Order: sequence, then structure tokens, then C-alpha cells
Amino acid sequence: MKIAHLYPELLNLYGDRGNILAMTKRLEWRGIDAEVVRVLDGDNVLFSDFDIVFLGGGSDREQEIVAQNLSRLRDSLSEYVEQNGVVLAICGGYQLLGEYYQMGDEQIEGLGILKVTTERGERRMIGNAAIKADFLDRPIVGFENHGGATRLNGHTPLGKVIFGHGNNGTDGAEGVRYKNVFGTYLHGPLLPKNPHFCDYILECANAELTPLDDAVELRANDYVQARYKPQK
Amino acid sequence: MRVILAIWAAKILVIIGKLVGKKGSSTPGSVALKICPDMLRILAKKVPEIAVICGTNGKTTTNNLLCAIMQASGRRVICNHIGANMLAGVACAFAVNADIFGRIHADFAAIEVDEFSAVKVFEHFKPNFMIITNLFRDQLDRYGEIDIAISRLQQAIDMAPNCKLVLNADDPLVAAFACDNSLEVHYFGVGERVFEDDAEDTGERVTDGLFCRKCGEKLKYEYIHYNQLGRFFCTKCGFCRPHADTEAQNVELRAEGGLAFDVWGARIDVNYRGFYNIYNILAAMSVASLSGATDVVQPPSEHTQDADSSKINLAPVTRALADYQPQIGRMQMYKIGGKEFIFNLSKNPAGFNQAIKTIGNDPESAVIIAINDNEQDGIDISWIWDVDFELLNAARVFACGTRRDDLRVRLKYAETAAVTMCATVRDALEAARRGGEARVYVLVNYTALFPTEKLLNEMARRRRNP
Repeated sequence: MKIAHLYPELLNLYGDRGNILAMTKRLEWRGIDAEVVRVLDGDNVLFSDFDIVFLGGGSDREQEIVAQNLSRLRDSLSEYVEQNGVVLAICGGYQLLGEYYQMGDEQIEGLGILKVTTERGERRMIGNAAIKADFLDRPIVGFENHGGATRLNGHTPLGKVIFGHGNNGTDGAEGVRYKNVFGTYLHGPLLPKNPHFCDYILECANAELTPLDDAVELRANDYVQARYKPQK
Repeated sequence: MRVILAIWAAKILVIIGKLVGKKGSSTPGSVALKICPDMLRILAKKVPEIAVICGTNGKTTTNNLLCAIMQASGRRVICNHIGANMLAGVACAFAVNADIFGRIHADFAAIEVDEFSAVKVFEHFKPNFMIITNLFRDQLDRYGEIDIAISRLQQAIDMAPNCKLVLNADDPLVAAFACDNSLEVHYFGVGERVFEDDAEDTGERVTDGLFCRKCGEKLKYEYIHYNQLGRFFCTKCGFCRPHADTEAQNVELRAEGGLAFDVWGARIDVNYRGFYNIYNILAAMSVASLSGATDVVQPPSEHTQDADSSKINLAPVTRALADYQPQIGRMQMYKIGGKEFIFNLSKNPAGFNQAIKTIGNDPESAVIIAINDNEQDGIDISWIWDVDFELLNAARVFACGTRRDDLRVRLKYAETAAVTMCATVRDALEAARRGGEARVYVLVNYTALFPTEKLLNEMARRRRNP
């Protein structure tokens, strides 16, 4: 399995390294080779060489640098997506896949691979969160911290908010799913506490997975659900 | 009159706080400022020199070292020792040092200030010196990205036009503060390669500040000490690690604890652990010398007013360093039942990684880690994935704290062997005490600090008087 980690020096907020670790360890523990290629600014890549593409979150300033860099790779990434290539994009990376991020008077152009749009909201949406995706039985848990409010403009959400803010704090949708593209505001990091979602993504990339003992991971997942669920 | 009332209120509240066993000084400070919003401004005016210490890590130690050196040189010093570093805590430190008539008898104030409170504090007084120790990511959910801390500090600096900046030369994020103003700047740093890491290979390590603050280009390094600290240079705009007038060389880090280095032509030798303590010592020395605490005192005779006057009197520094007791949870050592317990506050990735580096390869040890996610810790604990637990090599590891389940997952993916979950720090301490390891490292984040200190004190007392 070949994983492209896009701009790890710029997009590395909120323990994103954990997502890479979760994917690689869960492959290695099953005897599947995993290679992570760190794509740095200025590098040229052909996305069709990869099984999974990962985009993490960054600060506003860093996101602007990435937006400029990525625009050169837009066509290659778009073709990869249309041919069912697997992409996991978190927070800033998720926003970048969309058309734009409007911050007051300033607009960061996105890649336009998805029709989603983001505008800076009235206040940051911060806290523990859980969502239900219809392709998974168990909820996905994480921590969200974003100033942007995202609209899907017709796309399917990744899941429905159980608790937390989601894309924009109003419509109960969180993240996006388009073909094999998964975008979400949930970090924490996302995959280590959600081994079922990690394996789902690996399977989308055609990995053949044998079962693992996930007791430790699932306990952390249960804990977030139990502790932060609002008391009625 | 209101000032005196405010001082009395603060003093009484501190005493009540002590009686009920509360260590905080923010309530007395905020009450005092409510009674007299001008109290801090009025009191601070009466202190001839004030040094402020900012930065992510090392504030408390640097502040206490500076206080100790100044006191050893005979100065009377105001200091917010235990690290109440927001506006209210700073106000409280001045109030408790005033007498009941509102007079203050101090020559110097050493005040650590939270990066995000500096602007508020500087509305009350402008410091004569401002140390910036380093900048690392810390509690992203409370403070946001590191860029926000930088802009807040810049705002504060702009408010203090006569302040001398004392900056870490090795930290490109900190050294860049010298660029946009006309202030007098002094630098401290470690001017040689100490660790055998490959400077260019930052690998999977997560570090902010890899890109030039002036032009955005990726920085190059001759060598790196840790994170973004090292001899850096920018190939695009020429920004580079500045010359440090307080510079450590010939650094020796002893495996059994303790470190030594040369500075100003003398050798400093202390029994503290941790490479980062070199920065804390250098920063304190730099301000002490700028304020004249290390000047050679000349007898009032015309004969001796010659070449010798430029010499440095290191006596206050060596005396202060020899007597210095670390503040709670700063690699603090306990002896309990023939075992060493080393207690350290580790609350962000940079601090945690330094602790792990300091522990080094110690397969004879047990390590207790407590991660809480209360408001003061930061409720987002994703930062534990930026900690290099992969480098931890101990006989046993105990995971505790409210987020021990997350910590357990982190350790699983670091493939850490022999991890035990404990519901409480007390359980972990007891298990470690009974175990076979010679040393126990106790690494906790903020809200576990004071409860763990209490437990360690109790254990030490009980083992002394069985």
C-alpha cells in the first residue's frame, strides 16, 4: 500500500501524525507493506501511483501556502478522485478540497474538486464530537476545532451529528463523502480512536484485512461517547 | 486609599486561601484589581526595574533563577514564583509584596507572564527587560495556532518602546522578534552541535517554525538541538541564527544527572537534569548582567577604576545556581523507600519530548504518565500524538488521568511494551513503589500537578517515619 502524505510540514495540526500511524500500523500488523511518501512543497507527484492520499489540517497562513502549491497538482488529483482513488482530508485539508474559504474580505481559492464552500463563522466550533455514518455501525468520535462553517451544496455528508457542531453548527451534517473521498472536521486524531473507520478506508483502497484485536481503541471510542454525550 | 484597601484585600484573601489549602493567587489579584483598577500600575511604578519572562516552556524556571541570582547579588526582588502568570496573578505578586501602608520595598521584579496576557499586563506597566524563552504549540483549543501567540507577543512588544529584548537566538520564531523594531536586543543560545541528529531530516517529528518568519522559505540548519531550535539560516532572505552575547559552549550532559557548560569564559556546573535548563540559566544570567547584578563592585578609589571594571562577577550566579531548588514538577527529585521518584510537569509536545529525551534510555525505570483534559489542561488531547513516545524505553509504563484510554491507544501505536492502566495516580505510584525498578519518572499535565505533588509528599513523609 502506498500512502501520499501531503505537505506534512505545513498540515500537521492536531496530532495528524496519528492518522498516518493508524493506517500504517494496522496494515503492518496484518503483514501488509505500507509505504508513506511525504509530499513536500514543490514536489511533483502523480496521484495514480498511490492507494491513499492524506491531507491534514493547518493554520490559516499555512493553508494559503498549501493552496498555492496544490493548485499545480489539481488536475492529477481530480482525475484520481474521479477514478475512485481514496482521499482522507481533515479540517484544513477538507476545506481545501472545496471551492473556496471566505475569511472576511479575503478568499482562499480551493481546489474545486468538491462543490463544498466554507465561510468563516461567527465563532469557532470547538469540542468533542460524535457522528453516525450510515456505512458504519459504530459512531465515529473525535474533536473539532474550526472557525469555518462549511456548506455541502448537494454533496452527501460523511455522517449525522450525534453531538458536537458538525460542518456548520446548524444543519446536523458532518464532513463529506464523495466516491472514495472522505472529508471531516474530526481530529483527535481521527483514525486511532475509530479503527472501524480506518479499516473501512483501507478496504476502499482494496486492502484485504484480517481481524485485529481492537479492545484498546474501542474503549477510547466508547469513553468519548459516554463522557461527552449531552445529558438530557 | 483605594490602593491600600486593594492591597489589604489581596493579602487577606491569600491568607484565607492558604488556610483552606488553595494555592491559586488569581482570586486575590482580581478582587484587588476590582477594588482599585490602578493598583498594579501604582505599585509597579515604585519598582525601579522589572523583567518579564514570556514563552511557551521554561518561564517558571527562568523566572525563579533570575529571582535567585538577583537576590544573591543583594537585590530585594518581587517574583510570582509558582507561575500565576495572568494579569490577576501578576497583580497579586505585587500586592503581597507591598506593606500595609501601600509602600513597596523592592529593587527588582521578576515576573513571568503568559503570552496571551502580556498585552493586558503591559497596560499596567512597561517592563525594562523582556525575555522570550521559546515558542511551541501548546493547548491549541485554548490558544489557537502558534501564529496567534506570535502576533499577541508582537503587540505587547510594540507597547514597550524602552524595553530591552532578551531573545533565544536558537529559536527562529523568537529571534525574528528583533526584526521589526528598534529595541535594544540581546541574545542567548547554545552555540555548538550537542546532539548527533541529522539536521536536515526532521522526519516524522512534528515541529512548528520550520519556515522563515520573514519570507516563508523553509529554513536550513547546520545543527538542531530540538524542535526548531538550532543554528538555522534562510537561503532566500538571509535571516539566520544571530550572534549570542550569552552563549553556552562545551556542553556536557551527564547521564547520571547534572550538566555543565562554558559561558562568558567561566564554567557553569549544576546538578539539574535537562538540556533545556541551559537556556533557562542563560536567559536569567543575561538579564542579571544587563541590570548590573554581575558587575564587579569597585571600592571607591581611583586606582581600581581601570581594566578590571569590565570583568564579570559570577559569584551571585554560582551561589544562586548551587542553592536553587526546582519548583514543583520541574524534574523534581523525591527519595521514597530507597527509590528515586522524578516528577515532571509535561503539558505540551515540546516539553514532553524534552522529558523523554532527558529520561533517555533507562530500561531500569518505570514511567507514570497522567493525561487530564480539564479546562486548564486544554480539552483537546490530540497533542499526545505529537509526542515521540516511540523513543521511550522503560521497563514499565503506567497510564493514568482522565484520558488514559487515549493515552493507551497512543502507546499501543508507539508499540510501547508493558503498559498498565491505573484508575488513579495514587494506584500507579503505589504499584511503581512496590515494583523492581530503581527509578520512577512521573510525567503529568497541568491539573494533575498539585494532586500528584501532594501524593509524593505524603509517600515521602510516610516512608521517613514508618
